[in-house]
Amino acid sequence: MRRILGVVAWLVGIAFFFPVAWMVFTSLHSEQAAATNPPDVTAPLTLDGYREFFGASTGASPWPYLINSATASLVSTLLVVILAMLAGYALAIRPVRRWTDALFFFLSTKMLPAVAGLLPIYLISQRIGLLDNVWLMVVLYTAMNLPIAVWMMHSFLREVPVAILEAAALDGARLPTVLRRVILPVAAPGVAATALICFIFSWNEMLFARVLTGVVAGTAPVFLTSFVTSQGLFLSKVCAAATVISVPVLAAGFAAQNKLVQGLSLGAVK
Amino acid sequence: MTTTVQAPRKPATAGRARKNRRNAGTGRFAALLLSPTVLVLALVIGYPIVSAVRLSFLVTHNGINPTTGMVENTTHVGVDNYAAIFSGDTASQFWNAFWNTTTFTVAGVFVETVLGVLMALIMNRAFRGRGLVRASVLVPWAIPTAISGLLWKWIFQSEGIANTLLHTHILWTTEGFHAWVAVLVADVWKTAPFIGLLALAGLQMIPGDVYEAAKVDGSGPWRTFWRITLPLARPALVVAVLFRMLDALRMFDLPFVLIGAHKHSVETLSTFAWYEASNLRYGSAAAYSTVLFLYIALVAFVFVKVLGADLVGRGVSGRKS
Repeated sequence: MRRILGVVAWLVGIAFFFPVAWMVFTSLHSEQAAATNPPDVTAPLTLDGYREFFGASTGASPWPYLINSATASLVSTLLVVILAMLAGYALAIRPVRRWTDALFFFLSTKMLPAVAGLLPIYLISQRIGLLDNVWLMVVLYTAMNLPIAVWMMHSFLREVPVAILEAAALDGARLPTVLRRVILPVAAPGVAATALICFIFSWNEMLFARVLTGVVAGTAPVFLTSFVTSQGLFLSKVCAAATVISVPVLAAGFAAQNKLVQGLSLGAVK
Repeated sequence: MTTTVQAPRKPATAGRARKNRRNAGTGRFAALLLSPTVLVLALVIGYPIVSAVRLSFLVTHNGINPTTGMVENTTHVGVDNYAAIFSGDTASQFWNAFWNTTTFTVAGVFVETVLGVLMALIMNRAFRGRGLVRASVLVPWAIPTAISGLLWKWIFQSEGIANTLLHTHILWTTEGFHAWVAVLVADVWKTAPFIGLLALAGLQMIPGDVYEAAKVDGSGPWRTFWRITLPLARPALVVAVLFRMLDALRMFDLPFVLIGAHKHSVETLSTFAWYEASNLRYGSAAAYSTVLFLYIALVAFVFVKVLGADLVGRGVSGRKS
């Protein structure tokens, strides 16, 4: 029985992973081998797709776009974690009705359709000259991820025993010390899970990036869509592009999948 | 914001009173900690949304000014944008988008929940390479939608894997019911793992001795699932389902990348609002977004009331101070 379940689990895992594995596999083929139907599994592997993606023959480098994505995702994640930790701490130490209403307010902003805000945001950023600026994306992604981050951090920080906080307060510890020395170690899995989710969401965001950025601040998904438009017929090149753009989120996911489940079970579902 | 900082005063013993004074202090302090977050949300989310709602009530007319004889834009406040949604030609387009949004949400979330719970049940067992399997089902969720849309477009192309496996010749990415199916399949692939993960988190909190007791009482696996596992994992599941529904109602990327903009069979309220905005019909786009928001809010409200989704731990009396 146990062995059968294991096999089933493996099959499910493979079924879900298969399309992505196929994408990576195709990216390692030459264009001719990638285009054959049915695919030739024995074809020799090559890194040409990647060389082409990084502009070996055209000279167009994807690096500025990747760096834009990294900047927007990493800086906004850092900001979100700091802000959400403060807010989550505040909500966790004051668990009275009014504050749960405040928490509900944070959550309700998750219901707002992104399309609704897009147009005013476009007009406003045009007026203040922030269009096609990576810092605009940092601000937007920070706001976009804050509600869910506050909610998650609140759930995690609720798990910090009051006695520890009181002991720290008795010892005269100030807030930065309390956050760093007392709360962070206890809530670390939660912080990791929150940061990971925020990073993935910002790295993957496309709607805002597509409308609000251009040649200067364009992010990786924006680059990918234009790359597909111009190079769509070159399967291995496109797969190489998609693989490179997925690597950061996949690496983050693989590295922290344990923490993610642990973090989610710790707080998010209580 | 300053009105929210007063601590509730409870007449009590001397010890309580001392504690309350301290609470008043922490209340102000908590408000201070919350203010940067509230400020960011108010500026970056609140203000644009309010201006979008304002925009939806502004009606622009293009007409000739009788005194000057020039063509001018005049703007006045009214509900014309909303009236236009429910009348004439646009009404059928609106109800189509509304219908697609609803069917995507209902069908998608249902399939995802069933699959997700099954996945969680399997992953909750100990087996060789559990971490690896868990990580690989997470991949679809983590991967950018721009890429998953591309992947499924590739799978669903006329000579693609889907047609080869099914021995069919369906043009999946053209208008029709099959396009709806294609979007649904891609959506399920992408988000069932997320529900699975949240359900797994819920399952892991069920203590093992509950199952021991059920076994001793002679409960079969089927009965154990319906009477023990599901009720105990319910709070986690309800939250997961609610979150998925809120996201599914705003579905935008997948129909857009997989099938294209303004396609009848997969048009959702979000893509329709986007289409209106990209054709410079701002007032109308804003009106659609507002209607969508009201719809989402209604669903969330009903969900919380009926199923009692305990999002913020209201039911669990917070921490005793």
